[in-house]
Amino acid sequence: MVKKSTLSRREFLAAGGVAMVGLSALGLAGCGGGKSGGGNGGSLSVFIDKSPTAPGAQKQWMDKISAQFQKQTGVKVSWDSFSSSDEEQRKMENAVTTGNGPDIFVFGSTFIPSAQATGGFHVLTSNDWKLAGGKSRIFKQQLTMAGTSPDKLISVPFSMRPFAMVYNTELFRKAGISSPPKTWTEFVQDAKKITDPSQGVYGAEIDPADSYDPWKIWWTFVRQMGGRFVSKDLKTALLDSPEVQKAVQFWFDWATKYKIADPHSMTWQSTDALRAFVNGKVGMQIMISTSVEPTLRNSKVKGKYAFAPMPTVPYGMQQRPPGGEPASTIVSGDYLAVAKYSKAKDSAYKLIKLMTDYQPQIQYSKAVGDLPVNKKAATYLASKSKTAKAFIEAEQNATPTPMTGAWATLEVALANVSAKLGNAVAAGNYSPSLVKSLLEKANQQVQAQLR
Amino acid sequence: MSRQPASEAFPAKPKRGSGRNVGGRPMWLLWPSVGLILFVVVIPFLIGVYISFLNLDQYTIRDWIHAPWAGLENYITGLTGGGVLQTSALTSLGVSVAFSVLTTLVTTPIGILAALTVNTQFRGRALIRSLYLIPYVIPTFVTALLWRMMFLNGTGLVDRFLSAIGVASVNTYWLIGPRSFWAMTITEIWAVWAFIYIMVLAGLQSIPTELYEVAELDGATSWQKLTKVVLPQLKGLLGLALLLSTLFHFNNFTLPFVMFGSSPPTSATVLPLNIYVTSFNLFDFGLGSAMSVITLIIMLVPAFFYLRALRLGEVTAR
Repeated sequence: MVKKSTLSRREFLAAGGVAMVGLSALGLAGCGGGKSGGGNGGSLSVFIDKSPTAPGAQKQWMDKISAQFQKQTGVKVSWDSFSSSDEEQRKMENAVTTGNGPDIFVFGSTFIPSAQATGGFHVLTSNDWKLAGGKSRIFKQQLTMAGTSPDKLISVPFSMRPFAMVYNTELFRKAGISSPPKTWTEFVQDAKKITDPSQGVYGAEIDPADSYDPWKIWWTFVRQMGGRFVSKDLKTALLDSPEVQKAVQFWFDWATKYKIADPHSMTWQSTDALRAFVNGKVGMQIMISTSVEPTLRNSKVKGKYAFAPMPTVPYGMQQRPPGGEPASTIVSGDYLAVAKYSKAKDSAYKLIKLMTDYQPQIQYSKAVGDLPVNKKAATYLASKSKTAKAFIEAEQNATPTPMTGAWATLEVALANVSAKLGNAVAAGNYSPSLVKSLLEKANQQVQAQLR
Repeated sequence: MSRQPASEAFPAKPKRGSGRNVGGRPMWLLWPSVGLILFVVVIPFLIGVYISFLNLDQYTIRDWIHAPWAGLENYITGLTGGGVLQTSALTSLGVSVAFSVLTTLVTTPIGILAALTVNTQFRGRALIRSLYLIPYVIPTFVTALLWRMMFLNGTGLVDRFLSAIGVASVNTYWLIGPRSFWAMTITEIWAVWAFIYIMVLAGLQSIPTELYEVAELDGATSWQKLTKVVLPQLKGLLGLALLLSTLFHFNNFTLPFVMFGSSPPTSATVLPLNIYVTSFNLFDFGLGSAMSVITLIIMLVPAFFYLRALRLGEVTAR
């Protein structure tokens, strides 16, 4: 009996060992390649950003598109979503390195340069554009961020999120201001009229601890003055140029010199600024997109706010200097890029066509809040909503950010400059010379990454 | 508790060279596990070391194996803080060590005291035990967001309270500058003290009641019972809990990331955050790997003590 029992236990263990070897081999094979992602002609996978405000409505839209596409082509579409840009970046890095992953990636506009630098995404041919519905139906400003040059586009615009400003109409009325400012000089003057520190009310806001707002705002100032972050040929970093220094200083002047922004807002991120706006403590909040509307609609300022494009003439000037652009917003939105490893590229572009058609674009905009890139769909929405009209007006002056592979470095370097300057203001040792030295350091870091 | 002779502990001497049978056990069954460890731990580690000598970034990631050789450049940048975050691996290591050791030192007495308060039977004990666990079960990112709001200057609860009792200005900055270290540490202490509490409570439950009775008969005071009976009994468990706790705090990435984002103040740039931002936000995988290797080499010292403590535990348990 004892012998039998020992044997059966051994046999059991041996069988377990064999099974484990088998499982390990399978697992490793799974890691190494196989059918995961990549598309096989019968299916397509899409990696899309999850709507933070309307995930349910977005899911319904995706289901509808899947059903319609399967009916049209017989190809099944599966959707995988991400909640943060970090998740998006990691997925992209993994997919590019392993040659495995989704067929279609939805990228934010500033992510395109980094994605293109990896060389992991398919450059659209004229035939691909035909399958994707063509360029002519899409806002031309959005196409400027679809790839490093017009002949090397790696993506098709999907939705747009132009930036504008929102203002408190009640505070405007009390201050006797009849219309939103068109120049930054008017902006400062209007903000001074609104500011009442005894009530905790300020005409404007700044959010130096945000990872994105500072560079977006500085970038519009810089372009309006005719300057750049990176030279036109993308070879030289220009963060230490006088225009960039002026732009950064002007923004911090709001808190330190003109006193039109809360001097104690150095730890603010965009959500903190929005919170102050919805509490009626801020007259004008700049660099916001349509995504803030659901929050505003259900807040204290309900019915007391309106949107307008941001001013386009630099501070202290009546008109833009030579080379200055009426940059009221960066070109912003989502883009659809097909991975080089995808075995179902034709199907992918057909799906992209469906996603950018007139009806689906209107439905997506209604579901999620982003604006359509399809011109016909955008015109229709502008005729129906004042908000859409203001943002589409801002889009007319949208200018692209530099298509350099060093963009991610530039973003983090400038966020770092902003955080350090905010710290200096809080500690009482802020000075223009500090702005200069921090920008010079950031410039060196970005220059090292330019190819 | 004397240690057994080796011959008793391992009755069958392994047959050298056979590799198949030790003490009647089919040792070849270990191979799948060894293989997995090789693929999951050893090979990625070696790749990490290799990457630390490369200029691996967004331009070269697709064909990473052929990325240009960087020599010791990444190590020099990592040690001197020449990266975009401008915080060296050594500075970050200092922040991480201070953060993890301090948090452990503060949470230990709190955890022990809390465990002692609910060790004996009383009405409502289950409720208090549950309440103690609340901060520990809240997801870290929620804790970080809550405390970020509380530490906001001007409107946050912390500044309002400090200003109300006349200790500090209502506009004391906690999320930038040197105080950010304290904001992060206080939040961590609040969130994880219950770990020590759980471990100590488990230890307390295993102390035989006879020991208390004997101490009682000998006329021991409560303090004597704590120092002469309870703490010596908990020594092994507490040592392990402190080590695990320190390592847990050391590896906490979520809390500083949610509280300070991708441009953290230097005093809150803990090592995991520095390496993450460098590698994944800035695409500088070579520098990120070099910083990881530097850390690994330095952390081998406490790791040695950790492994030693585990071995001691094994011997005691035998």
